[in-house]
Amino acid sequence: MTMNDKNYSRIASITILVFGFLLLFIATDGFQAFTVEQARVNELIEEQPLFPEVTLEDSKGRTYPFSEFQGKYVMLTFIYTACTDVCPELEMNLAQVYQAIPKHYIGEDIVFLSISFDPERDDPETLTKYQDYFASDGETWRMARITDENELNRLLDEFGVIVIPDGYGNFQHNSAFYLVDPNGVLIDVMDYTKIEEASRKVLKVLEERDSQ
Amino acid sequence: MRQPIYGFILFIFLILPPVVTLAESIMAIHMHTQMPLFFISGFLMAPFFQKKFPGFFDKWNGDGIPGILLFMIIVIYWMIPRTMDEALTIPAVEIFKFISLPFFAGLPLRDSWPKITERVKHAVYISLSIIFAFMAVLYIAAPTQLCNNYLLFEQKTVGWGFVFFAGAIFFYFIQTLFHKETEE
Repeated sequence: MTMNDKNYSRIASITILVFGFLLLFIATDGFQAFTVEQARVNELIEEQPLFPEVTLEDSKGRTYPFSEFQGKYVMLTFIYTACTDVCPELEMNLAQVYQAIPKHYIGEDIVFLSISFDPERDDPETLTKYQDYFASDGETWRMARITDENELNRLLDEFGVIVIPDGYGNFQHNSAFYLVDPNGVLIDVMDYTKIEEASRKVLKVLEERDSQ
Repeated sequence: MRQPIYGFILFIFLILPPVVTLAESIMAIHMHTQMPLFFISGFLMAPFFQKKFPGFFDKWNGDGIPGILLFMIIVIYWMIPRTMDEALTIPAVEIFKFISLPFFAGLPLRDSWPKITERVKHAVYISLSIIFAFMAVLYIAAPTQLCNNYLLFEQKTVGWGFVFFAGAIFFYFIQTLFHKETEE
């Protein structure tokens, strides 16, 4: 191999390394998101979608539009009560965030809401039973279903919740804490396993509002 | 020159829409069958391109290093959970999969392999074992879905598939070391 050939190989190697770096850089949004889930969360936080108009039916059988919560922050999760793995953990962690928020904010400035994406099974009785496990009072922390399928799908779509039925009555779904501001705008999506971080973030948002 | 024909037939078979749909419906088949077969189709087609453009490969892949780098980059790219997910939802990524695995991974590896030194070959075996072992741990241990389009248990199956791949490459590598000793 002559010196010249070596140079060509070197040029090719450098070109390929640059191409590879760019390829991986673009594919991961600049090494920010290695999974679709991460990319989804980053995108949601950037986009700040508006909570679509849906009708909720809660554990007490009351029906109302989401705009019922206008003027308050809403801390959201998406669940189904027959779930045996992620949802109980998700709700247990949400309960800890709920307890970490000073009482005077609860119900006044912020409402907690768990939305079921399994309206067929999660009727008000089932939701009532479920909320007892997590000491949710059904008032400042409500559990509700969305009976209209189109409305439900639109919400799941807007908030990037992917629900795959596994064929045995269970669902595979992604989980997170969603924080919606008093105008119905999604302002944050938080890792549900990081309870302290989520509590801190929510508290900061509430305190900022207080000081205004 | 039979291999390139077989490779081409395999490639055409793999891009038939029903075959694509079937292969991608199961995560383990997507990752551990469809993707390696695309790679193999390119590997088989390589002699055709080498004969057609001998100057190109000799000039730009003289010492085999560029081909190995390209192969490694494409392998790493397809190890990112997000790319596999997006291959299902974004058509451009899907098409990139059809092109990149045969032509940017299988083809350059075959062209490079006889040109590279023993030491580089060892580095390739070891890197692949490490990458696949890492993927195995990641996919088996992850408590949540890494790919939103697939179920959690499918992900664990893929993880065990990586255990197999990592093990197979590593033992093959060890075997080549003994093989060399007995030859000498």
